[in-house]
Amino acid sequence: MGNPFIKNIKIFTVYLLIWVFISLIHNIVIVFLLDVKLEQAFTESIVYNTLYFLLGISLWYTVSYNTLENYTPVKIFINHSAAAVITSAIWVLSGYYILINIFNDDASYKTYLFNSGIWRFMIGIFFYSITVAVDYVIIYYNNFRQKLFRESELNALVKEAELKSLKYQINPHFIFNSLNSISSLTLSNPDKAREMTIKLSSFLRSTLSKNEKQKSKLVEEIFNAKLYLDIEKVRFSDKFEFIEELESECKDMEIPSMILQPLFENAIKHGVYESLDKVVIKLKCGPEKEYLKIIVENNYDPESVPRRGEGIGIKNIQQRMKLIYNQDNLVTVEKNNGLFKVNIFIPR
Amino acid sequence: MEQRIKALIIDDEKLARDIVRTYLGKYSSIEIIGECTNGFDAVKMISEQEPDLIFLDIQMPKLTGFEMLEIIDNPPVIIFTTAFDQYAIKAFEVNATDYLLKPFSEDRFADAINKAVKQIENESGSDKKLEGLLKHIENREEFLERVVIKSGQKIFIIPVNEIKYIEAQDDYVMIYSDKGNFLKQKTMKYFEENLDPAEFIRIHRSYIVNIMYVKQIQLVEKETYNALLHDSIKLPVSKSGYQVLKEILEK
Repeated sequence: MGNPFIKNIKIFTVYLLIWVFISLIHNIVIVFLLDVKLEQAFTESIVYNTLYFLLGISLWYTVSYNTLENYTPVKIFINHSAAAVITSAIWVLSGYYILINIFNDDASYKTYLFNSGIWRFMIGIFFYSITVAVDYVIIYYNNFRQKLFRESELNALVKEAELKSLKYQINPHFIFNSLNSISSLTLSNPDKAREMTIKLSSFLRSTLSKNEKQKSKLVEEIFNAKLYLDIEKVRFSDKFEFIEELESECKDMEIPSMILQPLFENAIKHGVYESLDKVVIKLKCGPEKEYLKIIVENNYDPESVPRRGEGIGIKNIQQRMKLIYNQDNLVTVEKNNGLFKVNIFIPR
Repeated sequence: MEQRIKALIIDDEKLARDIVRTYLGKYSSIEIIGECTNGFDAVKMISEQEPDLIFLDIQMPKLTGFEMLEIIDNPPVIIFTTAFDQYAIKAFEVNATDYLLKPFSEDRFADAINKAVKQIENESGSDKKLEGLLKHIENREEFLERVVIKSGQKIFIIPVNEIKYIEAQDDYVMIYSDKGNFLKQKTMKYFEENLDPAEFIRIHRSYIVNIMYVKQIQLVEKETYNALLHDSIKLPVSKSGYQVLKEILEK
């Protein structure tokens, strides 16, 4: 984030006005309490306050590097103490030399300047503290706003994914074909018909009562996805198989909710619906470096002509992963030799 | 005894085929000659066995039900069985060929069979009705994504983005694509209406071109233009075609 005192015209104006006000006070104090001549008081306040006006702007950089993310509180305190001393010294000395050169022939003013050095130094420390405090407030306020923005964007994406999934799951092709399977089973295998009715019901229930959580456990996500796969399994009994290979580290891990479901829907839609051969849908999960890697893969008929609108679901997942973990390339897609593979990397 | 009606069930879901088979069990006059799980098998089966009646699903691997109908020569009487209501036109239910929405009742199925049997017994007019149905459906669909062509025993599925251009040839059109050239029994008007006008332009009475393949427009003589394709084929461009082409290419 750039220096708001330069980049943000509003903040700059307020900052400038504050310094004009301080100059004024400065002027009044030294004229009425210390009997400094008006001309000298005016010059002095301009010189010193302009100097700090500029120093104050550059203090932003020390603040933005001394955040709690980078350093421990003790280290930050030490850094700032040192910076406060150095900044104040530079300020007092440079002001002193400028003014001494301007009023070279006024010995009493020079004495006054020299004697007031220690006070000016104290005021410098005070200015430093105030400026740094304000800078921190600005930084944390900005971070807070950014976080809110990211959260609302994330919520929108999750909503979109849910909506799409809902739209897909309650589309006629899925629901009515499932009901048709039930209708058929009532004639040939009533027990199985009842079982399928229950599966369809629990699936619809889980779909319609999606909670608002951003993340949920992998096992929960798999449980919901399986309700869906089970129903498709009744429809296409011998046309696909679902295999899961989870290593023990993965069972309790948290993943962004609704990222697996669209992948299984894709596998069914583009794999099972379009292929004559058996489709194997595999879910794998295991550690890889500092990540847990989830793989969803399925074979497909490479000759089937891709339909429009493919890949939108995956783009949504990519965006969400990026927003949640603040990192690129957490979702990769491989497509070759009739195998479609999506890799998801969850930072640990 | 009269000859039995030969029926074929085409659906990619076993349970869906089962229910049709079960319902049909009560009709001694109808004989099930087979089941197909996809459009490819169905095309073959229909040309070999010549069924009188087919039960046809729409969404299937390889070829959809509609694409399949496009490439068979003498379509039998058709009863659609599908979950897609967007293709159903209630008006057609009073006609001979029927449209069953899954799941359907045995009574509703009996209605369909009655209509089909009547239609098979006095064959006249059946083709017209089917054509009408197909036409309606095509109009409701979005732009074509692929074109299905039967050439001899082979079936080709060509994604529209692989079509370079289409040329009028009497009652047929010749489709020039990356995969080769194919003759198809459709009109230029059909393609003009069903291909995305942002991608395909009727540049001439006899030509529709895919703008992705157009390299440049050449001036031959005053107000006569040619479209030069990437593989250096030149197609004539009419005056009105030139206007449209210019507009789109300038975008």
